[in-house]
Amino acid sequence: MLIITRRPGEKIVLGDDIVVTVMEISGQTARIGIAAPQDLPVYREEIWESVKAENQAAAAADPDKLPPLPPQQS
Amino acid sequence: MPTTIDSTRFGRIEVAPESEIVFPHGLVGFDSRRFTLVAREQDAAFVWLHSLEDPALALPVADPRRFFSAFALEPAPPADAAIYVTVRASERLEDFTANLRAPLVIADGIGQQVLNEAEGAALRAPLFAELAAAAAGSEDRAA
Repeated sequence: MLIITRRPGEKIVLGDDIVVTVMEISGQTARIGIAAPQDLPVYREEIWESVKAENQAAAAADPDKLPPLPPQQS
Repeated sequence: MPTTIDSTRFGRIEVAPESEIVFPHGLVGFDSRRFTLVAREQDAAFVWLHSLEDPALALPVADPRRFFSAFALEPAPPADAAIYVTVRASERLEDFTANLRAPLVIADGIGQQVLNEAEGAALRAPLFAELAAAAAGSEDRAA
């Protein structure tokens, strides 16, 4: 892993179109600004993990084992 | 030229090019980029988002507005976009949940799994809660 020391206000540039800015550091908390193309997904890691878990749980569905579904709502 | 997949769930499926949906950044946790939507009469409350690259990868997805009258998506998607949420199926209907936190936005054959910043967008929202409440309500009236 690349490890870089930055001060508040300083930035890191990834490729041509992603800029990560250390906005503020206060105690144990760092505020990070991320400028990236709008279609590039940016997740907090714990949310990324939970979305991954939901996606994988959804993909485990077996259509032959679904209970009878209620009639469609209009 | 249509793509043919030998789905482990549904057998052989032919997918016309115009029915193909490309997720340029994929879905979190999967390598596939090319998908299509497969509808079946038996479980028409859902459609299946089926990979064109992995015959064993398919996720039941649903139109959230059909199940959640207060569903909101922020930031707002393009007006012509189709919105789906992934469904976690279960043996019991009351245990089905939908992921309102990370909906799928599909427009012009391009799909994206986005983060929903709307308040109350739960990761596991009971899918049939409103339906159950409506059924309980009509039973109450009947009693």
